[in-house]
Amino acid sequence: MIRAAAVGDIHMAPETQGILRPAFETLPDCADLLLLAGDLTRHGTPEEARVVAREIQGLGVPVVAVLGNHDQHDDRPEEVTAILEDAGAQVLEGRSVVVDCGGERVGVAGTTGFGGGFVGRSAGEFGEPLMKEFVRYSRRCAESLRASLDQLAEQGCDLRIALTHYSPVPDTLAGEPLEIYPFLGSYLLAEAIDTAGADLAVHGHAHLGTENGMTNGGVRVRNVAQPVIGRAFHVYHLHARQPVGAAVAGGPT
Amino acid sequence: MNHHGQEPAPGVPPAGENLEYRVAHLRDRIAGGPLGELGARLEVRGETVLLTGTVPSAHTRDEICDLVAAELAGHQVHCDITVADSSSPDHAEDLA
Repeated sequence: MIRAAAVGDIHMAPETQGILRPAFETLPDCADLLLLAGDLTRHGTPEEARVVAREIQGLGVPVVAVLGNHDQHDDRPEEVTAILEDAGAQVLEGRSVVVDCGGERVGVAGTTGFGGGFVGRSAGEFGEPLMKEFVRYSRRCAESLRASLDQLAEQGCDLRIALTHYSPVPDTLAGEPLEIYPFLGSYLLAEAIDTAGADLAVHGHAHLGTENGMTNGGVRVRNVAQPVIGRAFHVYHLHARQPVGAAVAGGPT
Repeated sequence: MNHHGQEPAPGVPPAGENLEYRVAHLRDRIAGGPLGELGARLEVRGETVLLTGTVPSAHTRDEICDLVAAELAGHQVHCDITVADSSSPDHAEDLA
């Protein structure tokens, strides 16, 4: 069993320095890793990124993050990424990382993701160049997530987690105005997760949404935006699935 | 009959004074300006403007409430914005 702590949308700025640190310092007692689901800063400035870096540095558990739309607002996502990585975090965009949690290998595949909407109510790759690029960008994010999850399967991970900022499902948006769902997530992310397979999908972004959801393929989804979970983080206990045939191999013949 | 470019009908305020439009633009400023806060909702309820949502700090909440009250002077502004809870969780969820 591994214990994954997760939170998103902490929106840190100089005036919030230190707010989360006391709770984060309890992580080694209750979690094996910390997932950060984007919108870690308010505007994506290096100054704000350094606030986050000080909050997560030397926590005693591995930290894996994706950026959110706020973290890109200042047009310096590479700098934000570098500052967080200097503090020890793995910041994923279209790639994955394998974390050793007490002998179990946990793979995390991450992308910020993007919007576009959900099945039957989604934007199409048609019309103005901006509209086509909107949908193509979302498609590229989803494709990178699928490829990263596939790679983790090839590496034989015991558990795989999909980490995004935007939501893969509408379930966890319940509470948000229906009219803005296309700006909150995309079914392409869920399709990628279901195609490659995962044990859990974690996202943020939807402050007015709800915590629990599930993809059509049965993968559990958790919206960990801090206003949703109402805590510094939530912890999920995950159990590695028995390898196919394992029960037969150890049983009577 | 085309009213394009004419004075608004009697009893209808000019678009620039329309409370709904003013609130919509103010919300854009809160989201895109120095506050960068997308978590605050502003809604018109009759003559009152209701602010809801969760923000990271009391400082941010006060900034938003003060800005809205100043920009919409003359209207009642009701601030129900809450500050995110940063305490540790008291339980874990088992995803068996």
